[in-house]
Formats: sequence, structure tokens, C-alpha cells
Amino acid sequence: MSDRFMSPYESQESQNQTDRERQLDELFRAYALACPDPEPSVNFMPKLWAGIEAREASRNVFGRMAKALVTAALAASAILALLVSMSSNSDQPYSGTFVQALTANHVSQLEPFHVDRISEMENQ
Amino acid sequence: MLVEFELIQSAQRGDAAAFNRIVSAYRRRILGTISRLIGRPEDVEDVAQEVFIRLYYSLEQLRTPEVFEPWLYRLTVNASYDYLRKSRRRQESRMSDLSEQQVMMADAAAGSRAQIEDHERRRVRDTVADLLASVSEEDRILLTLKEVEGLSLKELEQIYHVNENALKVRLFRARQRVLKNMKGVTGNTAQSAQTDEVK
Repeated sequence: MSDRFMSPYESQESQNQTDRERQLDELFRAYALACPDPEPSVNFMPKLWAGIEAREASRNVFGRMAKALVTAALAASAILALLVSMSSNSDQPYSGTFVQALTANHVSQLEPFHVDRISEMENQ
Repeated sequence: MLVEFELIQSAQRGDAAAFNRIVSAYRRRILGTISRLIGRPEDVEDVAQEVFIRLYYSLEQLRTPEVFEPWLYRLTVNASYDYLRKSRRRQESRMSDLSEQQVMMADAAAGSRAQIEDHERRRVRDTVADLLASVSEEDRILLTLKEVEGLSLKELEQIYHVNENALKVRLFRARQRVLKNMKGVTGNTAQSAQTDEVK
């Protein structure tokens, strides 16, 4: 049952709510009339164009700074790339295994312990 | 629309004279809206300048001139929000100064018809300002646009980019919050009006 019986208190409360709604609507209407659109000052347009030009100038400064930063970053990247390529040319990586590399570097030191000679020594 | 589509298109192509004509056509309306949104007469023109500067720099992004007005309102609402956020604390102190100034002006008034009307307008402005100050900035701006500026739900949809049902819910809740605060605020204002009259 949706339409239940309303007590006198609830009925009064509902009436109050409707009155407040109506009062608020009237207040908003009166407010709109009490606040007319203000007249712009005589300097409105000159000030606006001055503001636009000032914003334009600051945009140009930022634009120039951004361009300079990009150029500097590109130059630094190019220099780094050059340095990396030069250093990689001087340190050629060895293509063999670790043992082969060790042997190549220390051939003279390993010479007295050559396997063939040790076996010859044993035979003797 | 207060201007022709062709004028907007000319301004989009960089025609300064066309832009000037658009500003001249809308500036009074925008000043009025801002004054009711921010409640600070001395800063209204600065906020309006910001709106039109933003308009100048974003005009070329406007694809369909048909939505120019809601879009301009959107810029106005955003600039007003930015202003209110920046000067929230400063605003409170200055609003009380302004109120005092208005009270002094009203005290100086000596009962002529025009002065009585002025007094009544001040009372209405103070009452609504107090009511709207008791809710959030979002509620205040939404209610002002709907109830005071008289924008339709369709126009609000284009400004807020939300659907009609969501807007209705937000409006209903905002109204309920104002109604909840209404009894106290109107009571206080009636009391202060009586005090003014006694003075």
C-alpha cells in the first residue's frame, strides 16, 4: 500500500517543505533581478589585448627555451654516441673461451709445464 | 546565439576584428554570470579577461560553432572555479569587509524609495550569498547556472559533459542541501534586516 495515512505532523512537515521550495524559487528569481549584469569598464578591450600579447610573449620565451633545450639534448646525444662508438672500437671483445684467452696471454709462462714434456719426464 | 557562425569562423582564422566583435557581444553576459558565480564585484573583470584570453587561445579547437555558447559557459565556469580555488581564504575575509561596507552604505541611506529598493536588493543578495556559501563550490555553481542564470538541462549537459539524469540527481541533492540550510540563514537575515531598520 503506497498511499498510507499521513499523520497531522507529517502533513504539516510536507507543507513546510513545499513552502520552503517555493520560497527558494522566489529567492533565486529575486536574486537574479537584484544582480544585474555589470557594465564592462572602458579599458576592458585594451586590457584584454594587452593580456593576450603578454601571454603570447611568455609563450614565445618558453618556446625558444624549449627549442634550445631540444637542440642541446640532441647535441649531447650525438657526442655520447660518438664517444661510445670510439671506445668500443679500441676494446675489441675476444671471441674465444676464457681458457683460450688465458692461454693466449700467458703462453710463455705455461711453456715449462707443457703436457708433452711432463709425460716425457715420466717415461724417463 | 548573439553572433553569426561566420563571425566565429573568421575569428578562428585569426581575424582580430571578428574576435573583438564576439567579445563585445558576450562580455556583459559573461561579466554578469561571473559576478553571480564568484560574488566578488571587484574581481569580476579580471576573471572575465581570463575567460576571453582562454577563448582566444582555444578558439581554433572548436570544431562545431553550434556549441559555441555552452563552450564559452564552460570556459567561464572553469575560470570561476580556478579563481575560487586560488582565493578561497582571501575571499572569506573580503566578503565580510564588503558586507560591512554595504551595511555602512545602507546606514547612510535615509529612506527614499530608491534607497529602500537598494536595501531590499542588498538583503536578497546577502540571503542568497549566505545560502550558497553554506554548500560546496560545485553545488553553488551548478545551482547558480540552473536557477539564477536560467540555463536548461540540455545546456548544462553540454557544459558539464554528463547526462541529464546525473544532472537531475546532482541538482536535487544540491537543492536539498540549500533547503536544509535555508531556515537558519533566512531567519538570521530577517533578524539582521530588522536590526538595520532599527538603526
